[in-house]
Amino acid sequence: MKILFANHIHIARQSIASSRMRSTLTMLGITIGVASITTILALSAGASKIVVDQVDSLGGNIAVIRPGANSDNTLDGIAKIPIGQQYAASSLSDVDIASIERIEHVKAVAPLMILGGSVSGVTEGSAHTPILATTPNLEQISDIEVSDGQFLDPELNGATAVIGPQLSIDIFGTDQSIGKTIKVKGQPFTIIGILKRTNNPINYNTVDFDNAVLINLANGRELNQGASQIQQINVQSESVEYLGGVITEINKTLLKNHFNQADFTVLSGDEIAQPTSGLFTALAGVSVAIAAISLVVGGVGIMNIMLVSVAERTREIGIRKALGATNSDIISQFLIESLALSIGGGITGYIFGYILAFAISTFLTFDPVFNWEIAGTALIVSLVIGTLFGLYPAIRAAKKDPIAALRQYD
Amino acid sequence: MSDTKTPPVIVLKQLKKRFGIGDAEHYALDGINLTIQKGEFIAIMGPSGCGKTTLLNVLGLLDSHIEGEYELDGKSIAYLSAKRQARIRSQQIGFVFQSFNLVSRLNVIDNVALPLIYKGMTKLARQKKASTMLRSFHLGEREFYMPNQLSGGQMQRVAIARALVNDPAIILADEPTGNLDSRASHIIMQELSDLHKQGNTIIMVTHNPDLTTYASRVITMLDGQIDTDTFRLPLQSRTSTKKPLNIVKKPKASTTKKKDKK
Repeated sequence: MKILFANHIHIARQSIASSRMRSTLTMLGITIGVASITTILALSAGASKIVVDQVDSLGGNIAVIRPGANSDNTLDGIAKIPIGQQYAASSLSDVDIASIERIEHVKAVAPLMILGGSVSGVTEGSAHTPILATTPNLEQISDIEVSDGQFLDPELNGATAVIGPQLSIDIFGTDQSIGKTIKVKGQPFTIIGILKRTNNPINYNTVDFDNAVLINLANGRELNQGASQIQQINVQSESVEYLGGVITEINKTLLKNHFNQADFTVLSGDEIAQPTSGLFTALAGVSVAIAAISLVVGGVGIMNIMLVSVAERTREIGIRKALGATNSDIISQFLIESLALSIGGGITGYIFGYILAFAISTFLTFDPVFNWEIAGTALIVSLVIGTLFGLYPAIRAAKKDPIAALRQYD
Repeated sequence: MSDTKTPPVIVLKQLKKRFGIGDAEHYALDGINLTIQKGEFIAIMGPSGCGKTTLLNVLGLLDSHIEGEYELDGKSIAYLSAKRQARIRSQQIGFVFQSFNLVSRLNVIDNVALPLIYKGMTKLARQKKASTMLRSFHLGEREFYMPNQLSGGQMQRVAIARALVNDPAIILADEPTGNLDSRASHIIMQELSDLHKQGNTIIMVTHNPDLTTYASRVITMLDGQIDTDTFRLPLQSRTSTKKPLNIVKKPKASTTKKKDKK
């Protein structure tokens, strides 16, 4: 059996080498499919990893509450593509914050109210500048560092703001902008602190702190016609052991507040990363769908070429059968050939996928991740395609009547 | 056959092979009774369409949709699975075809080694055996030629080497000289004759009456039935098969070796 297998591989190599152009073109379909899958998976794994690492580095005692019901299904992620940070209407309220703060073992609570609006200093800022209204607790929970000045403090008189270093450079031309006035939605705020550069636009707060304006929650409400619009509540428990209990308690309390409607989601650990990379999930989903189409097309290509190959070698099949090949010998010979095509395409695709992922990642702030899941996916996908689309031609080859096959001309 | 020392290799009883259905139905083989002993060299003659090749295909287990009885080595093939039949083809039967049927993608030695693959031999063992076989056919220096670089006679010798490489009990040759000129034909026949002398059982279909001179027994067929069955050369261990049908006439070719080519 082993000898036969080795021989089949030898035959497959010979046959593929003898029609190099044809085989390469056939593999191309699989290559493109596997390359796109690899790219997507490597990049989205990279994006998730960043957030997971952040959560881990914060000590693992963080829970995040977001409005909207939980979606376990990744397909839901595709259906509702989050647009920036704007959730339509938040189900989280100031009452919720107050009740969470009263829960035992909760160390700190920080609501995040993310507004859209124009920001200007000396020059106009980007229209996409995130305006984050929050409380001083955020500094502690999310481990935010201030490079200059101080963090938010509601006790200070007047409207104050802390801004990201990149924003400072963009609108003031310098990262030394303390004391200057920044206009948020037309209202003047005095800058009291500059954040330390994080280079981390992807994080579980869904705010690019390098480019953000942080203001007090009260000011945020004023900018929003007096209403709170809370997109996220970060909760820190006293220690990791208490986190589970705290989450249960939060769920209970919020359900009570929300008349038993589960219109919120409490996330902890790796779960936090998922909605953050929701856009990636969506993009990945769409791309995987496209990749799947290209794989099917590639598979059909393999089937096509295998059928041609079987037809071309009808006589050889007849000879082999006359000389003692069993049907399964013939099936494995052709199946291994189609597998060689698909796995060849898969390996090339895997390599190209990573090349592409690294090329793309030069425009992004995170790197693709190597893990065995991606390699395994690429391999399994190619195996499945090769088997699926190679089986029919192989069975057809084996079913050929040796007498008729021998009569056919070369 | 009770008094034969060894049981017959092949016994056919009322063998029929039908093609087509309904109105188009006809019997390519229409009740063949035949017993073949080990070591016979049988030439099957007859006009086109008389069922010679069909008979050979049936004997070679390429076609098992038959009626009647076919016993190979004392065992009926009726209940053999396709896999067992393939194994018998691999181990007991060697085919030689009119059109050589070498695999054009493989070089000479790989072609000869082809049947050994399905016997499960390692590559090295295959190559060794094939090489020995080729040398015995004086093709040792052609091992790495491709089939299309050989003459017809050489190709057929390669094909015979391939048929013999797994020491088959029976060699089935379907017009082995049909595509060769007369000189090459006689070389091939000489080879087959030598094999016969070494004790191989050979069943050959031919159109050429001259070639029957090499055979020990000549069968002519007509319309799917055996017309004549003539023993030409005495075989040491042979007793007459149990049907001395109508041994009317020797085929024309019995003018023995008169026509042996220069």
